[in-house]
Amino acid sequence: MMTRAVLGVVAALVAATPAVGQTPPAADYWVYVANESSDIVSRVRFGPDGITEEKKIRVGILPADLDGAHGLSVSRDGRHWYLSLAHGNPYGQVWKFATGNDRLMDSAGAGLFPATMGISPDGGLLFASNFNLHGNHVPSSVSVYFTPQMEELAKVTTCVMPHGGRVNRAGTFHYSACMMSDQLVEISTRELEVARRLSLTRGMEQLLPVDAADAMAMGDGICKPTWVAVSVDDRHLYVPCNGRGEVLEIDAETLGVERRFATGKGPYNADVSPDGRFLVVSLKGDQAVAVFELATGRETRVPTSQPLTHGVVVTPDSRYAFVSNEAIGHTRGTVDVVDLEAKELVTTVEVQHQPGGIGFWKMEPRP
Amino acid sequence: MQRRLVFALAVLAVCLGSAPVAAQVPQGTAAQLELGLTVTGVRIEPEAVSMSRGDTLLLTVILTDASGQRVEGTQFGLARASNHIDVQSIKDSIADSYLMWGVNPGESAFAIWVQIPDDSAGFQWKPLDEFGVMVEDWPVAQVDMMDPAFETYAGTTFPLEAKAMTDHGTEHFAAEVTWRSETPSVATVTPGGVASFSQPGEVTFVAAAEGITARRTLRVVENPVRQLDISPGYVTTRTGDVVHFDVRALDGRGRAVQGIALTYGVHGLDSAGAEIYTDGAFVAENPGTYKVMVTAGGLAQEAIVAVEPRTPATPVELIGRHGPSDVTTSDLWVFTGNDGRDYAYTGTHAEGGGNRMYVWDVTDPANIELLDSVVVDGRVVNDVKVNGDASWAIITREGASTRRNGVVVLDLSTPAHPTIMGELTDSLTAGIHNVWINGDVVYAVNDGTNAMNILDLSDPTNPKHAGRWEIRPGEEDKSLHDVWADGRYAYLSYWDDGLVILDIGAGTHGGTPTNPVFVSSIKYAMGNTHTAFREGDYVFVGDEIMESNDLDGPLSPRGYIHVIDVSDIGTPQEVARFEVPEAGAHNVWVENGILYIAYYQAGLRVVDVSGELRGDLYRQGRQIGWFETAVRDDSGLHSNATLAWGPQPFKGNIFVSDMNSGLWVLHHERPAELSP
Repeated sequence: MMTRAVLGVVAALVAATPAVGQTPPAADYWVYVANESSDIVSRVRFGPDGITEEKKIRVGILPADLDGAHGLSVSRDGRHWYLSLAHGNPYGQVWKFATGNDRLMDSAGAGLFPATMGISPDGGLLFASNFNLHGNHVPSSVSVYFTPQMEELAKVTTCVMPHGGRVNRAGTFHYSACMMSDQLVEISTRELEVARRLSLTRGMEQLLPVDAADAMAMGDGICKPTWVAVSVDDRHLYVPCNGRGEVLEIDAETLGVERRFATGKGPYNADVSPDGRFLVVSLKGDQAVAVFELATGRETRVPTSQPLTHGVVVTPDSRYAFVSNEAIGHTRGTVDVVDLEAKELVTTVEVQHQPGGIGFWKMEPRP
Repeated sequence: MQRRLVFALAVLAVCLGSAPVAAQVPQGTAAQLELGLTVTGVRIEPEAVSMSRGDTLLLTVILTDASGQRVEGTQFGLARASNHIDVQSIKDSIADSYLMWGVNPGESAFAIWVQIPDDSAGFQWKPLDEFGVMVEDWPVAQVDMMDPAFETYAGTTFPLEAKAMTDHGTEHFAAEVTWRSETPSVATVTPGGVASFSQPGEVTFVAAAEGITARRTLRVVENPVRQLDISPGYVTTRTGDVVHFDVRALDGRGRAVQGIALTYGVHGLDSAGAEIYTDGAFVAENPGTYKVMVTAGGLAQEAIVAVEPRTPATPVELIGRHGPSDVTTSDLWVFTGNDGRDYAYTGTHAEGGGNRMYVWDVTDPANIELLDSVVVDGRVVNDVKVNGDASWAIITREGASTRRNGVVVLDLSTPAHPTIMGELTDSLTAGIHNVWINGDVVYAVNDGTNAMNILDLSDPTNPKHAGRWEIRPGEEDKSLHDVWADGRYAYLSYWDDGLVILDIGAGTHGGTPTNPVFVSSIKYAMGNTHTAFREGDYVFVGDEIMESNDLDGPLSPRGYIHVIDVSDIGTPQEVARFEVPEAGAHNVWVENGILYIAYYQAGLRVVDVSGELRGDLYRQGRQIGWFETAVRDDSGLHSNATLAWGPQPFKGNIFVSDMNSGLWVLHHERPAELSP
């Protein structure tokens, strides 16, 4: 009898070392990445000894189906990681794991195609955007879970194709993007209701009624937002417009657009470095990441190792960005490490098929 | 299917005063968390929680320390185990209290937790205790008595039926209806409702539930039956073969008496393991001699059945095998190409990167030759189907890098080297799990909408949408998994909604191939309806169930084959089953009275489904062959791990795809003696 343990064993160490001329890392870093077309989560370690896919964790329900391990988020205290499984019969699920031993701790039902997950700073609330990528174009929701018991407290109807949710540092609001409604939606974490919504269509960037969940955008100015990153001081929101190659900087207080950063094709995910200096944006259509210096808005393009660059997460020391690249078909995807000071690709490691959601677990300085 | 929850207690309803229920328990202060460490027990007031549906109850929680003293000022929460109750904290108004509403009738539980410090300036929840809660249904308002199923002849016995209805017009979830007779000299009735009519006269039955009663007076007439015949009086048969007894009840003039309740029984004289149904159908699982009895009033008749064993299972012979060792194999299709050679096409699944369909020459099935493969942008090629004249094929795709999956059409002008000649992804972006070809029409299972898309492939280079059908349009809570059609009806495997039958040209309900019309459906409690295949009056419906509590443990599929009698297409009835214990059914094929099942970890199963089917086919010895499709060496993706996906009989052999070991060609000699 085949056992899943076969896939759970520690993978062979295929380490790649940092590029010549770069300062080697002084710490070890770990990330988790969800491989959507393998139903495997990879644990990747990067450090002075190079980078390796340290562990493969089998997930999913039906071996004869792809359940679609899509979104992955790690709690701020680093004790748990959460995974969204996009497909079910018909609804997806959200699973909770312990970090380290990677044991499944709990699970909960979600909506159609749960994707990105945002977590409150205290780790108590998890927001899963029910993307409903392939269903009818009807308003979908953000499921809210109480994480100690992984129970759904609410399904907040937001818009058509919600994606890319994040909670601000204060824990007061959750922000998500709406690919088809072309909106930014703000949810109050106390009321668990939509507080405000902003149209992102060019020329129509204005607040909308909070109940405008079924609005659909059309025309040339469509943003097609895919993500929301929150600045370190909670004052700004960064929304990649996947459909028109720019990132919007939005004032979180007024929801007014303050700056526009032109990017390459298909800006997709984004993260802000903890020191507040960098905004790193994956460019799904350009096989690259764009590193913006937020003080000046200057962009440096860093090519990645495989096409369909997807997820990005910055390390707590603001030194590196870990980037997932889906690749195409039979070719395995990769996780790249980008040095944010040098603006260079440091190293890469092959993981499984279609890596997407990526979450940072921990760093440990070397003695 | 849900995996287990690590903590059984579920939905949390916690507090933020009068704010909406759905909110979090904020982290307590450091002092509150430290205080939480002193809590060792909890009790509630009232001590026993019981309420009616719709009622509200005030619940007070009292936390105690090791000495039994009350501890106040902690941060605690309440979790409910199910949706039988709703809960809202009112701690801001009334200390340590919740409001609890009864929502759905039944027994449930809730638990009390307290916050304690963790090791990183945060908190964790410490469970204290759990308590039962009972929600009673709405009160019974009336008892509805059904019309008797048979004529009330003196001397007969049969069950009566009644329902307890609530004051909301719903059937009470638990109320028990008890019966009594007010005229026991005419008829008695058990508390459960089995009535025995002893002599002519009027009898009044009373059915009661929770103090509500209903009365009905029936007239019992003299039993007109003067003669009872059972035929055949003696019969020989085999296990699994159904014998129908013809019972004739005649009056004094030799006329048939209608509507009389007959009571059947079966008794093993030298064996055990036979069943007789209320329609007089007999079937045995074990050989031996059985006595069948039938009564009608005071008359009784007997018959004897001598049951012989069926022909024992015979070996399944291995003819050939080939398969990729670097990727999982999915479905298969075997056919004769326009060049006169035989081909098998097999799909590939996720492990190893399932982005291709393999082309095998199986003209000499003992020497399978890999000829080619078709590569697509995807990570799963789940299904492969070839049209009737083998001029084109369709493969389904999932995991495309563009996230536009849909179907891909192959040109089979050169079947050894098929080429892509068309695709359709619009409105099929999620992927198509399975397809079935009906002439130029393709029925496609849409992973995203859970609808059946109907595609027009009259021009296979330019496939087009031709229609769509789904249950409950506009609702999302449904899951379509497979479709099979025979040109008259389509059979949709709709997971927890069971088997759905559509008229696609049968002429019975007005359906056409592109505009189907619903005919009927049947579902069963376990759900997970995964696949269907019809032959004769039966549709063979398979479950797919994956239950595992351990992600690192072995795969353990479950589920079996339900045999659905569709001789009355409008009223499908489940009449039999085939279940290999501790294994899980996957795809099936039926041909000439033989059912072939790819039974996941149980390999190929060959089952005699000839004749009439009743009962448990496995126990009746109808399995006539089996083969474990596992490789012992490293020539497959995984060795010693059977995971059969799909079977197809072809030119006297049985082709089977196994996820772990690829393509198998097997041979099983058809038994000379099948059921009539």
